[in-house]
Amino acid sequence: MTSYLFQRLAGTLPVLLLISFLVFSLIHAAPGDPTLLLLGEETNAAEIARAKERWGLDQPLYVQYLKFLRAAAAGDFGKSFKYAEPVINVIKTRLPATIELAVFAIIIASLLAIPLGVWAGAKPNSWIDNLGTTFGLFGISMPSFWLAIMLILLLAGVLNLLPTSGRSTYGIAGPEQTGFYLFDSVVQKNWPAVWDGLTHIFLPALALGMNMLGILMRVTRSSILEVMNEDYIQTARAKGLREKNVVWRHVTSNALIPVITVVGLELGTLLSGSIIVETVFAWPGSGSLLITALNARDYPLVTGIVMTYTLAFVAINLIIDGLYAVVDPRIRY
Amino acid sequence: MIITRRVLATLTAVTCILCGALAVQAQSRVSIGVTETIETHNPYGDSVSLQYGIYSEVTGPFCTYSYAKGDFEGRLAERWKVENPTTWIFFLSKNYKFNDGTTVTADDVVHSLMNRVIGDPQSKQKASVAPSVVKAEALDKFTVKITTDKPTAPLLSFLCDRLIVTSKAAFDKYGRDAADREHMMGGGPYQLKELIPGQRLVLQKRPDHPDAKKHPNAPDEVIYRIMREPEQRVTAFLNDEIQIAQFIPPHMRQRIEKNPKLRIAPIDSVEIMFLAMQPKPPFDKKEVRQAVCDAINRDQIIATLLEGFASRLDGPIGPGQYGYDPNLKPKMNYDPEQSKKLLAQAGYANGVDVELQTPVGRYTLDKQLTEAMIPMLNAAGFRARLLTPEWATLWANVQKGTVPFYYMGRGSVQDPSAALHQYFHTGETPRIGYSNPKLDELLDKEQQEFDPKKRRQYLSQAMSILTDDAPACFLWRHKLLWGLNSRIDYKPLPDARIYAIDMAVKR
Amino acid sequence: MVFMQSLTLESATEKSVVWPRLLPRLHVKAFTGGVIVLVFIVIGIIGPSIAPFDPNKQELTAMMKPPAGIGASHSLGTDNLGRDILSRIIHGSRVSLLVAFAVVFVSGFIGIALGAISGYFGGKVDFLIQKLVEVIWAFPPLLLGITIMAFLGQGLFNLILALVVQRWIPYCRVVRGQTLSLRNRDFVTAAQCLGASNRQIITRHIIPNLIQTSLVIGTFAMASSIIAEASLSFLGVGVPPEIPTWGTMLADARIYISTAWWLPLFPGLCIFVTVLGINLLGDALRDLLDPRLKRTGAKI
Repeated sequence: MTSYLFQRLAGTLPVLLLISFLVFSLIHAAPGDPTLLLLGEETNAAEIARAKERWGLDQPLYVQYLKFLRAAAAGDFGKSFKYAEPVINVIKTRLPATIELAVFAIIIASLLAIPLGVWAGAKPNSWIDNLGTTFGLFGISMPSFWLAIMLILLLAGVLNLLPTSGRSTYGIAGPEQTGFYLFDSVVQKNWPAVWDGLTHIFLPALALGMNMLGILMRVTRSSILEVMNEDYIQTARAKGLREKNVVWRHVTSNALIPVITVVGLELGTLLSGSIIVETVFAWPGSGSLLITALNARDYPLVTGIVMTYTLAFVAINLIIDGLYAVVDPRIRY
Repeated sequence: MIITRRVLATLTAVTCILCGALAVQAQSRVSIGVTETIETHNPYGDSVSLQYGIYSEVTGPFCTYSYAKGDFEGRLAERWKVENPTTWIFFLSKNYKFNDGTTVTADDVVHSLMNRVIGDPQSKQKASVAPSVVKAEALDKFTVKITTDKPTAPLLSFLCDRLIVTSKAAFDKYGRDAADREHMMGGGPYQLKELIPGQRLVLQKRPDHPDAKKHPNAPDEVIYRIMREPEQRVTAFLNDEIQIAQFIPPHMRQRIEKNPKLRIAPIDSVEIMFLAMQPKPPFDKKEVRQAVCDAINRDQIIATLLEGFASRLDGPIGPGQYGYDPNLKPKMNYDPEQSKKLLAQAGYANGVDVELQTPVGRYTLDKQLTEAMIPMLNAAGFRARLLTPEWATLWANVQKGTVPFYYMGRGSVQDPSAALHQYFHTGETPRIGYSNPKLDELLDKEQQEFDPKKRRQYLSQAMSILTDDAPACFLWRHKLLWGLNSRIDYKPLPDARIYAIDMAVKR
Repeated sequence: MVFMQSLTLESATEKSVVWPRLLPRLHVKAFTGGVIVLVFIVIGIIGPSIAPFDPNKQELTAMMKPPAGIGASHSLGTDNLGRDILSRIIHGSRVSLLVAFAVVFVSGFIGIALGAISGYFGGKVDFLIQKLVEVIWAFPPLLLGITIMAFLGQGLFNLILALVVQRWIPYCRVVRGQTLSLRNRDFVTAAQCLGASNRQIITRHIIPNLIQTSLVIGTFAMASSIIAEASLSFLGVGVPPEIPTWGTMLADARIYISTAWWLPLFPGLCIFVTVLGINLLGDALRDLLDPRLKRTGAKI
């Protein structure tokens, strides 16, 4: 298996290279000049020329690309034009917020979808099944930005239960350690901060996770349906086990394999979906950072974020494949 | 000592008084929700009015423009004189001290201007603070001589409230980055306590500072919180998370007005909004340009879409801005019939196709306002279309000179000289590409004229030409709505600067 | 877009034993979905003639009027420029459906063609096409759309192009899998013996067998295309403002959430219901074709 993983890793390298080239050319080809956007309104030609030189933009494109590659190979994505700091540092300050959001989206989606899907699959054509299927359909049909707006309108606006935006209320948080607000607060036993963080993350995570909720519901349900008809389930029933045990012990663990696959595959969609949700909720994550960087034509930062997302995606795929092998003994490479 | 009842009573009384006194001394803290962001620790690393304002409070300011007086006042630079058209002498106050007790001297000013603003590649401020400065030298401990390459009458509008004077000693000792991050020192009434780029900035009052003593009710701690989204700002303001909210969209003000503890303060901004037209067909004909200006019903747009929160511009600038002439002629009026006549005169009796470009979300209701202009243009004989390119694309194209017709704003127009030169002087920028030798002559004269009366005359004449020839239709200045908690007595400034020292917090 | 993968996972796991039990629900699904989609298509076609107002007609004195109720003049209210919301929604349905259809057809065409070629010929061609798939697929979908639109500028055609760039891939993947298995079937060998050219085999023998799966993918792709177009319009990189679309209406409504609830509610509701209808149809279609799908062993 190690050799397989190695092979896969080696195979992804040319893909990463091609992707970096694609990002690089796309963003440079897009109209818009970072020097004009980042220097003040009153700037003049001399300033612009100075900035271009400092940022290496006066060189031909292929030279810039090669420079970028050389640095990237050493793990250096360059310095952001806008923030004048290494791209890696800038991303590091914003990425935890997005990861937190994605994790919570998955938690909310799974907590709701999997039990419902199991129940629905175990009792096809019952009212639970109808409820579950409807829920699943609603989940995949809902545009996330509309859901976000409606949630803000209802829960934050009309009912005033939750905050409309942002990640935390000023003054409650303790010192930042890992950048994961909730984790830090728990470690510091700062319970008001934990509650504050939870109230802020709930709506965005729900908006982000709704799609996944629908998909998970559907996949779980059909996966359960298939496993329910397998022979070994009949055996378990014949042995006299109670239906509940049958479902939970035998059916679920086997049915979860495709579910895990879907979660893994969906992570990529979650990352790109977070861009919109972060914008609507003013969530300070890497998705909104990407929009800011794109609008400012901050080439190194955009390239850095896209490459980070891509690397994450590739890594997740590899892990899922590996998990597959671990979970299902039939799969061997 | 024998504890008698009397002694006890006295002790209790004294304790109570002390407690009371301490309570009165409790820190007052004001949180402000702002829209612009501070992204870097380098005070010279960005050219944004919020940043200028905040750091000016920390380091001075060097001098300041008083809207009430309509003129410049001294601060760190107490007074100044113009020795000859290209030489200015600034006399510094002897009372400004850095946080470590050392006095702010001419060396620090020279260092800040020459090394930080002009000489540092990371500085983004050269064009806004010292566009024509060639040299700065210290004549003695408290006197600075500044030399410009050409006579620059409006030099003060570049230096005041913008030149940030940091410590040369700290820079030499710690190096630039450490000096900015950990040893940020200034001579101003507030000191920088914390800065998290993109999130917040915290200032703390320096009780020993002479300005702080003059304003005892100014807040002890000021927290600037970056809240870009209006919903977020307004909600935080309603919840008392912030006591001042910058730039509230007009349609959200009802929620605030319903709350007796909060109030709205509308202020005329110094940003002028206009429609720019490049002198290429069809806008090469003056009649067509004037037709555009006559087609827009500015009053109706201001009354309906802006809910009255804008003041119409009858010329490039309005009341409060330097050189404003209430009797400026000609005046553009809403007259679509006149537009049609003008178009016919220009040979476009059957209409002419035009494409208006506007940014989205960059200026107040930019997309909605320009959408409202399209039917107005159509009713005046044009066939107009609206394009809403992304800001990055639009700005790049405007700078390149490839956008024939666009809606734009120009901020920080406290003194119109810089803006007028930038947009209308031959050869300065390709944004419009307008060329009028008479106008050039006037603009050159005003820049070098140190007599205020004569300068105003030149400016007036220049603006008259602009209004008549109409390379741009000057539309309005937005009234910016500030949300203020009733505990705070503060009059916001038109240019989005926030000087906390001018606030009074009711205890 | 992962419902491509998930749908095949779902379908491939339902055995024929379950099939008869699902029969009654199939009819309900198909019926409801079909009705919804039909209604919107009809609105899209005849809508402009029944819309009460010109969608771009501004009435600055009648801005932000709340819904007046069914049958009244502005039954769904007016927006921030006094334009009638109902009329804008009707016209917006045109654009959304048009873009969705166009994207699905173009991407379907490209995807099926490339997938069939990839699966049939194998070898270097397969390798190259799959590498292309990997590279494009690794991009966060929205991001690619945004960057392409920034590059091309606003416009209906550009929007369709930006959406097609990634959306042909699910077709390609599934079709390739199916082609791989079909390739070795007897009827293909027979055709080869009879001297049919590769092109003839692909177009006449293989592709017809793929149509059903493609149809199912197509319906779900329609749904996701509508959402994708709305997302891009929401972010401001869609069509120019003279063309009303549901996404742009939502974007304009963002600053009015707390003051004019009807501005974001109705366009979003339309997107939601349309997509729901399409998904219902897709579900029904997939249930109908289930045995076929199962047999060809379609798996990603």
